[in-house]
Amino acid sequence: MGNVNVNIDGRKIRVREGSTILEAATANGITIPTLCHIKGQVPSGVCRVCVVEVEGSKTMMGACHTPVAEGMVIHSKSPKVIAVRKVIVELLLTAHTGDCVNDSNAENCALHNLASDYEVGAPHFNVRNPRFYPAEESNPYVKRDMSKCILCRKCVKVCGEVVRKDVLSIGYRGFKSKVVSGFDEALTAEACRDCLKCIEHCPTGALSAPARV
Amino acid sequence: MVPSKKEALSENGRAGLLPALKDRAGREGSLNRESMSGLAGQYHLPLNEVYGVSTFYAFLPVLPTGKNIIRVCRCLPCHLKDAQAVIGSIKKELGIAPGETSRDGKFSFELVSCIGACDQAPAMMINDKLYGDLTPAGIAEILKSY
Repeated sequence: MGNVNVNIDGRKIRVREGSTILEAATANGITIPTLCHIKGQVPSGVCRVCVVEVEGSKTMMGACHTPVAEGMVIHSKSPKVIAVRKVIVELLLTAHTGDCVNDSNAENCALHNLASDYEVGAPHFNVRNPRFYPAEESNPYVKRDMSKCILCRKCVKVCGEVVRKDVLSIGYRGFKSKVVSGFDEALTAEACRDCLKCIEHCPTGALSAPARV
Repeated sequence: MVPSKKEALSENGRAGLLPALKDRAGREGSLNRESMSGLAGQYHLPLNEVYGVSTFYAFLPVLPTGKNIIRVCRCLPCHLKDAQAVIGSIKKELGIAPGETSRDGKFSFELVSCIGACDQAPAMMINDKLYGDLTPAGIAEILKSY
């Protein structure tokens, strides 16, 4: 495959055909935020925080899953992009219930870091039924606090496609969607021993290492 | 027919899961843990995936359900034709809210996405039978026939 010429934020960039906008930007030192993307894996494009403006396109494009094309003119930081990203972060925050909501030191939560980078205040969407699940601490290897989960599906992807243990899936639908193991039971799988890849990838702290006893 | 491991792992085998779930739910009324783990083994899929697929579809009843399943459409056309009044009438008649099963185990009551009967809104299905142009007053009679 040959190379194509694109323009990102006014910079002329030559990249390999078939790269995604995100790859082209990253390789040239342009940062585009992501929450659900795992480098090297097939992109899912579910979190939407990587949206960018592509001239001539009716809608915003997800940078992590849109391949570049010859002559594309991309804006990754235009006022329109920033405004849309702010709303996306705000929407994600409405379904993210947990102690880091009022913890100013929630550095481990990528969503909170993004919210503070983009100066997103308290969500002004009215949440009638907050997503709340009791934290699960029954697994000695992984602690799950699904109230914090934003359904980015990284853990499902890592567990299935990277380490091939397939312990997690998405269950239910719509607002009730939840990452489930088995018949939506507490994660007890012995398969989790010495793996912990999902914890590494979880952007929100929904998955964490339990405190050592 | 039980697929071989090779077949099951191919995309075709995985695609076979949904018809198999539908078939099982149709014959047994609902999907329980036993039937789901059976199919997981048969299709060489993790349990969580079978459960995830089953719980996604409103027409695959997963939990123990009543003998008859009432599914009332909650989409916009039915809503505009006052499905809410029909839902209220069913609630009153059976004494259960959507998502619940009547105490005698006769009915489960659910709200579902569009059932494709917008021309007859408000509409509902009881098991496989479609009831359209519903009125709150007509509900009692329909339920009595079960």
